[in-house]
Amino acid sequence: MDQSKQQEEDYGYNLFPERKTGKYKKGSIAESLFTFNHKCQVMLHLAIETSPYAKLLLGAMKNSGCALHKDRHFSCEDCDGTVSGGFDATTSQIVLCQNNIHQQSHMNRVVTHELIHAFDHCRAHVDWFNNFRHLACSEIRAANLSGDCSFSNELSRFNFGIKQHHQECVRGRALRSILAVRKISREEAEKVVDEVFDSCFNDHAPFGRIPHSKKDAKFAYRDFENRDRYSANL
Amino acid sequence: MAGSDLPWRPPRPCDYYWSEFRHCKSLRNRFHHYYVYGTFPSCEQWKEDYHMCREWEKIQSTHCKESLQQSERNRVAEQRNFTPVWELRQTPPADWHSPLNQGKPQDS
Repeated sequence: MDQSKQQEEDYGYNLFPERKTGKYKKGSIAESLFTFNHKCQVMLHLAIETSPYAKLLLGAMKNSGCALHKDRHFSCEDCDGTVSGGFDATTSQIVLCQNNIHQQSHMNRVVTHELIHAFDHCRAHVDWFNNFRHLACSEIRAANLSGDCSFSNELSRFNFGIKQHHQECVRGRALRSILAVRKISREEAEKVVDEVFDSCFNDHAPFGRIPHSKKDAKFAYRDFENRDRYSANL
Repeated sequence: MAGSDLPWRPPRPCDYYWSEFRHCKSLRNRFHHYYVYGTFPSCEQWKEDYHMCREWEKIQSTHCKESLQQSERNRVAEQRNFTPVWELRQTPPADWHSPLNQGKPQDS
């Protein structure tokens, strides 16, 4: 009786077939990798379900015909260096660096940042690979609208500044992002960012405002849900 | 505006205007506005819109309706006040839902 009972009951291990075989030794590098992947998946799920920034972007994209599916459009992977994530336009996938994202707040921000790239890809003819202006524009928007340049985030980087510091941060982070992924001189990159800054900094789609906080993002999401009534009575 | 059979009503529920006004006036928001623009926000329009909205609920005057519509159209115009860098699509990317074929991800 005992034997058969044990065989029926597998404590949910069938959901994780690799664990069942005991393939990974405790404390091994392989197990760490697996653990980060799972942690990444859990944090991603939480971000999608609870972050008003992410919910608004997902809703706006669905509206535009680009519904996102977790398994198809998101991928948790190990990445080089300190990069946190990326958007792969050739596969329409958001890459999340499971080895570099360890806090939920960071995950929320990275997901928002990459969703903004995905949103731009969905609604516009963005030439990611050949047009630096397009790349710069999307990076400016992502730094501006994702919370990357919030006062508290900048403080944590020891970047102290108040009056209009947000814009300085957006410029700097857009520049860094471009230099990280393209073989271009700093001067050229700065020039491109300057060229498109005014236009792209003022493009707040789909938020309708620069969301500085969760409350801003919730208000923006509220407006998004109200969009039909809004446009019908304008 | 575009062929709706329903009678006109304010673009937002009245309490949305009030909560936007309160949010606009908050210390946190004033700080954030200064942090981004170097100036402090002007919030009076939200309050004005709230009062117009409430009055509309009472008396449905044309003045209230036009005032609210103009205010919201100004907001929309403000949000569009830039020249786009790229061309907007008419349809989503054709390969958005295509199955993955194990291509190596590139950075962006």
